[in-house]
Amino acid sequence: MAEKKLELKNKRFTGPFTLIISVVVFYLVVKIMCRSLYSQMVVNMALVFCLVAYSVSVMLGMCGELSFAGVAFMGIGAFTIANLTTGRFGFKISPLGAFLVVIPVATFIAFIIGLILLRLKGTFFSFSTIALVQVAYTFFNNYRPLFGGVDGISGIPSVRILGKQLTNHYLWFPYLLVFVVFVGLVVEHIRNTQLGRSMASCRDNETAARVLGVNVYMTKVIAFTISGVLSAMGGALYSMLIRYASADMFTYDTSAKYLIMAMFGGVQSTIGAFIGALIVQILPQVLKVFQRYFQLIWGVSIILLMVFMPEGLTGIFRMALKRRKSRKKGRISVIQEKGEE
Amino acid sequence: MTLSLFVSLFVDGLSMGMIYALLGMGLILLVRAVGILNFAQGDLLMIGAYICGCLFLDLKLPLWIMFPIAIVWFALIGIIFMFTVYWPLRKASYSQATIIATMGASIVLQEAVKLIWGSSPRAMPAIVQNANGSPKILNVGQVTLPIQYLIILGVGMVIIYLVLKLFEKLYVGKLMQAACQDAYAANLLGIPSILTICATYAIVMIVCGTCGYLVAPQFMIRSTLGTLQLRAFAGVVIGGFGSITGAVIGCLIVGVVESFSTLFLSGYKDVTVFLLLIIFLVLKPTGLFKGKIGDKA
Amino acid sequence: MAENETRKPILKLENINKRFGGVVTAKDIKFDLFPGEIKGLIGPNGAGKTTLMNIISGIYTADSGTIIFDGMDITNVPDYRRARMGIGRTFQSPRFLQRSSIRDNLLIGADLGNRIGFLEGFFGKKSTNFEQELKDMMDLLHFGFNWDDEISSLPFGQRKLLEIVRSLLSHPKVILVDEPAAGLNPKEINYLMDILRMAARKMNIGVLLIEHSMDMIMDICDSIYVISFGVPIGEGTPEQIANNHAVIEAYLGKEDE
Repeated sequence: MAEKKLELKNKRFTGPFTLIISVVVFYLVVKIMCRSLYSQMVVNMALVFCLVAYSVSVMLGMCGELSFAGVAFMGIGAFTIANLTTGRFGFKISPLGAFLVVIPVATFIAFIIGLILLRLKGTFFSFSTIALVQVAYTFFNNYRPLFGGVDGISGIPSVRILGKQLTNHYLWFPYLLVFVVFVGLVVEHIRNTQLGRSMASCRDNETAARVLGVNVYMTKVIAFTISGVLSAMGGALYSMLIRYASADMFTYDTSAKYLIMAMFGGVQSTIGAFIGALIVQILPQVLKVFQRYFQLIWGVSIILLMVFMPEGLTGIFRMALKRRKSRKKGRISVIQEKGEE
Repeated sequence: MTLSLFVSLFVDGLSMGMIYALLGMGLILLVRAVGILNFAQGDLLMIGAYICGCLFLDLKLPLWIMFPIAIVWFALIGIIFMFTVYWPLRKASYSQATIIATMGASIVLQEAVKLIWGSSPRAMPAIVQNANGSPKILNVGQVTLPIQYLIILGVGMVIIYLVLKLFEKLYVGKLMQAACQDAYAANLLGIPSILTICATYAIVMIVCGTCGYLVAPQFMIRSTLGTLQLRAFAGVVIGGFGSITGAVIGCLIVGVVESFSTLFLSGYKDVTVFLLLIIFLVLKPTGLFKGKIGDKA
Repeated sequence: MAENETRKPILKLENINKRFGGVVTAKDIKFDLFPGEIKGLIGPNGAGKTTLMNIISGIYTADSGTIIFDGMDITNVPDYRRARMGIGRTFQSPRFLQRSSIRDNLLIGADLGNRIGFLEGFFGKKSTNFEQELKDMMDLLHFGFNWDDEISSLPFGQRKLLEIVRSLLSHPKVILVDEPAAGLNPKEINYLMDILRMAARKMNIGVLLIEHSMDMIMDICDSIYVISFGVPIGEGTPEQIANNHAVIEAYLGKEDE
């Protein structure tokens, strides 16, 4: 009995079979549901923002630090793509090539900024990320040579994958889906390895983390870097999708949206970020009738969400699972007692 | 730069800094009382401006009647705010949940005023004005000082003094500090923590609302007034989180820096403030005054 | 004692001093801890025992004095690096990751034992035999549970024992155990003593033990160090301490004569 309990593999991670099935099902459902190019675009956007929601999940869910910096890194990703593909530096590279450049650029910038900002803790740190977003926005909006100023940068060429030009949203969808699922698996893997546990220890009990040999500061910097890269990839794909990048895509106000995506699905889980991004992105389209009151409903629902389900949908799911389990356990113990009689 | 320009920029900066300081002080009071960061602080100011606008412009009440009524409203709104975004969340498993709830509240407040009063900004006359309705300006030699700025400075100082007195000298202040440091012990001693928390929120809202009234002539009554809170955040961090004096001084610094930076780089006004913040964070992460909020090992 | 002279101490404190404001919490503390030795650290409440542990594990820094660990001066080494060098620690009230499963909580100890970087960990490298070690210890502690349950679902006593397990999984050379028996039932105390003995005898770990239960201290310790208000007042084997007047005075008060 005891040996059976000593399983190392984490059960939260569903098997590859279930995963493939659910991805295929999701693909088919979207294919059937999305009759118009517009609705396909909404789903594609949701997938892109999902990357940003992952980044929130890494920083807030794993590391316990509330960061608003996501939009700043999205901007860095998007403008890197825009600059490299439109030949503003005097040379042009393909969007996919530029996407590969985004990753080291974002890693470097996020690491340096993380080193600076993470000297602060908790609320202090959250403040400083707001400052970062504000500084980044001002630069995006004013510095023409790099960011095109108020007009932004347009004319990003369409992406070519496997000899095929991705000219519309239908064509984009399968590639985006695969990529987002792949990144999700990487994030989930981080959660279940040493790095994820170190982050969790920083989140839950710093003193315990220290006596267990976790360098709290460095772990947080690494988490910040990872989340920065995730956001930058999201921003890069965003600009590749709409073939345009401008400062007002990356304001402080929009950062709340990504936070809510992750919180809605459940900040403790990767799949939660995925579900949250989809729901938050698609819901406004469904509620179009209430356009005038939509923002109000949105604000109220954020408060209600925090009050009634701070751990999001997956949190509720987990609670229900636990309750069912304990009920089962209760039944078994009753049976055993009867047997003893 | 001539001396007169210097003085007027300085006074301008100080008066804006005073507004940030009042907001920042409110932030600190809330952090001390309930341990959360209020991301709707600027929106409380905005609500204050709208309420004063409603009383003053729509109902045409004179200042001395308007103000007591406004204060009652402020206190009420503060308490409602407390019961919606703090009270149900006080035992949340995530400390960040409360913060995000205040962000939700910020959206709700902005949308609510838009739905009630429309989205176009409303003009608010200055407190002291010339016969033709333009704000009165004091001329001292070559220096021009709008009276509104001086009023902001004066009122701000009075409020800060009163709040400091309240929290550090008076009995009520001790009660509040006790309640926020250890709610459990305070309850045992018979100090009802819900009352003190209510009072804190009411006071914070009164301070913010007053700020709203004071800045309304300059920025007009608009739903985006809430963005002022970002500067207050910066000032609070520079001052050292947790100390009221530090926050006030930090916010004044932010105001003055912002005012002078418009002279050199108008487009990058935000950048100077936030770069200042980031530089501070690098050089002196504990801020000018070390906060009282510590973590016991 | 002759045996100790030939062995080198794993942990050596030299004239450690620490004061908080006007309160002296450690004054000229010095002792040696040898591998495989269980040393009791006792004293009345507020004697500065936990503070001393915090100084050793690096949560506080000493005002003066040196700490030598495994032949190296670690006085200025940050706490997490001390943990990596092999100073394990448990707390009076167990400190776990409240939002993680029992498995993750134990694995984090094993991570430290692995002594590998994040990147290698990401690609699944392992150097210790986590399962086998854990199974051995669980046999000793006589309990098993569902590893996916949250840590907070365990009773206090089991959590305290698990914290020691977590620390041992990290392969420390010295383990600092702060009041492990408080809140445990008699059965669990026996298991606790078993596991501490195993740590010392089999794994050759130096154990520094704070405990109020004198029965346990006298039973398990090889030597005892007594402090009172931060000042060392006695050191020796359990028999010597039991007959030490200064110690008896500190515990029971001065006899009126």
